[in-house]
Parts: sequence; structure tokens; C-alpha cells
Amino acid sequence: MNISKEEIIRQTNEALKKEFELTDAQLTPQANLKDDIGLDSLDAVDMVVVLEQKFGMNIRQGYDLRSIVTLQDLYNFIEKIAQESMQNK
Amino acid sequence: MCVRTFLNTVLFGVGAVLWLAVTGLVAGPFLYLWPGKNGCNARRFVYVQAKGILFFMRLCSRSWRVERGPRPQGPCVVAANHASALDLYTVAAFGYDNVLYITKGWVFKLPFFGKVMRAAGYIDAETTPPQQMLDRCRQAVKDGCDIVLFPQGSRKNPLARFKSGAFYLAIELGLPVIPLAIGGTGKMLPSGALWLRPADILLGTLGAVYPADFTGPLDHLEMAREVKKRIMDYLQKEHML
Repeated sequence: MNISKEEIIRQTNEALKKEFELTDAQLTPQANLKDDIGLDSLDAVDMVVVLEQKFGMNIRQGYDLRSIVTLQDLYNFIEKIAQESMQNK
Repeated sequence: MCVRTFLNTVLFGVGAVLWLAVTGLVAGPFLYLWPGKNGCNARRFVYVQAKGILFFMRLCSRSWRVERGPRPQGPCVVAANHASALDLYTVAAFGYDNVLYITKGWVFKLPFFGKVMRAAGYIDAETTPPQQMLDRCRQAVKDGCDIVLFPQGSRKNPLARFKSGAFYLAIELGLPVIPLAIGGTGKMLPSGALWLRPADILLGTLGAVYPADFTGPLDHLEMAREVKKRIMDYLQKEHML
């Protein structure tokens, strides 16, 4: 999957705004997904499904999602998976 | 502060506390000896207490309106907006006398109330593991209970996002969701307030939302949005938002 970092940020924010009724002001890279954005454990599962649909990749299998604390962590994580899928092709 | 607010606060404070204390003292020993199957007697006791609280709320209101939408047969999930501590009692206005609340953990730590809530089998949303919560709800539904939740998670006025847990539960249990629109309680007693202001109160149950109308891995998110939309539209139409 060839996708720029800016595009990852844009699409991730777009998906989060739509599915979780978030505002641009909430979506800062340093925002803590639990404390600042207010996502609970079920939301986290939903977020993964939303992002899988958005980017067309499998996020759930083989990755430790507990290390994702902030929005920046999430962008980095998606970028890493995108790069891995490019290398595997 | 106006005179009416002062009188409201005294009336509600004295009346509601006396009501809760007297009913608690009378019914407490009976509930201890005969809690009923899975806490059903305690749940009915909460209903009686809630009816009394509603009576005092009504006395303190500027206007009072209860609109009952059609109710499907059998147990349901009731999902309400939440702007005030008074919201907890509003389900009783619709005659739902056997309900299971799923609430935040701090409520269970309150003196007296916490004991009653445990006796009634209410569920602490913060500490109960998801599978255990699902199993307890399944049992409650078998016992004929409706399940009541406030999907916003905490008191917020105007409406905040509805978290999807309540709707995940409804889909898992195959239960219709009744949207309960609560208007005016956030003006009467907002979060953190100590004085009870006179306010127009509107309580309305809206048409049921069915799990079968939602499909896909994010069905519960869609259902949450639909229920919130119905409540918002209703409260906006009635000029309560």
C-alpha cells in the first residue's frame, strides 16, 4: 500500500470524526485516545475495524495494539503496517 | 437565586430524603429477608422509591409532560440521554418496575444506595468484565427485566456522543432499544449544582429501534447514532435542547 504520512493522518482523522463524533480540535497528535478523546475499550475495538475498512488492511492479527496510546502512535502504527505490506508485495 | 429555587430545594431535599428514609426503614428488613429471585424485590422497591422522587420532581417543575411511545412486547434495552442525577428516576414515569441499571462504579459506593443497588443486581459498568456483564444481562432478561443505560457515560448537556456498549449489548441479546428522551432535568439540577431550579420537564419514550435493522461489524455504532438522532430530533422539536 503506497500512501503518504499526510494521507494516513487525513484519512485516520476523517474516519475518527465520522465514527466517533470527534472534532478537529480534539484530534491533535499528542491526544491520548482514552483520556483526551474518550475512547473506551469497545471503542478501541471499533476503531480498529473502522481503520481496517478505511485502509483495507488487517490490523488485528499479529500486532500488539496496547502500545498505541496517543493519536501519533496510531498514525505511526498505520504507517508501519502500510510499509510492511509494501515490502511483502 | 430566586425564592422558587430556594423553596424547590427545601421541598425536594426534605421530601425526597424523608421518602427515601421512611421507605428504606420500612422495606429494608423485608428486602433483607426476602430479596426475591435475583434481586427482583429490590428492583421493585427502587421503582417505588423512584415514583416518590418523581412526585417531588413534579412539584418542583414549571411544567411536567410524559409522552409514552409504543412499547414492544417483552424486555427491552432503554437508552436515555443524561444531563442530571435526577435522570436515574425517570424510567419509573413509564411504569417500568423491573429494570436492571448498568451504571458507573462510584454509585455503588454511596451509603444505603450502594447496598440497595447490589441487592437489586445492578451492574457496575467499570469493573464488571464484559462476558460477565453479558451473562448477567442475559439472566436478567430471562427474569423479565428491562435494561437501562445512559450511553453518554456521564452527565452532559447538551447531548454528547452515545457510546456503543449499550447497543452492542442490545444486538448480542437480540433486544429492541427504546430511546428515552429526557428534557429539562439538566436545567433543574445540572451536574455539580446544589439548588433545584424550576424547569419544564419532558419525558418521552420514542419508537423502538430493532437490532435486525443494522448489519455489519459496526452495527452497534450505527444503532447508537440512530438512537441519539431520534432523541436529539425529538428534544429539538420540543425546544428542549
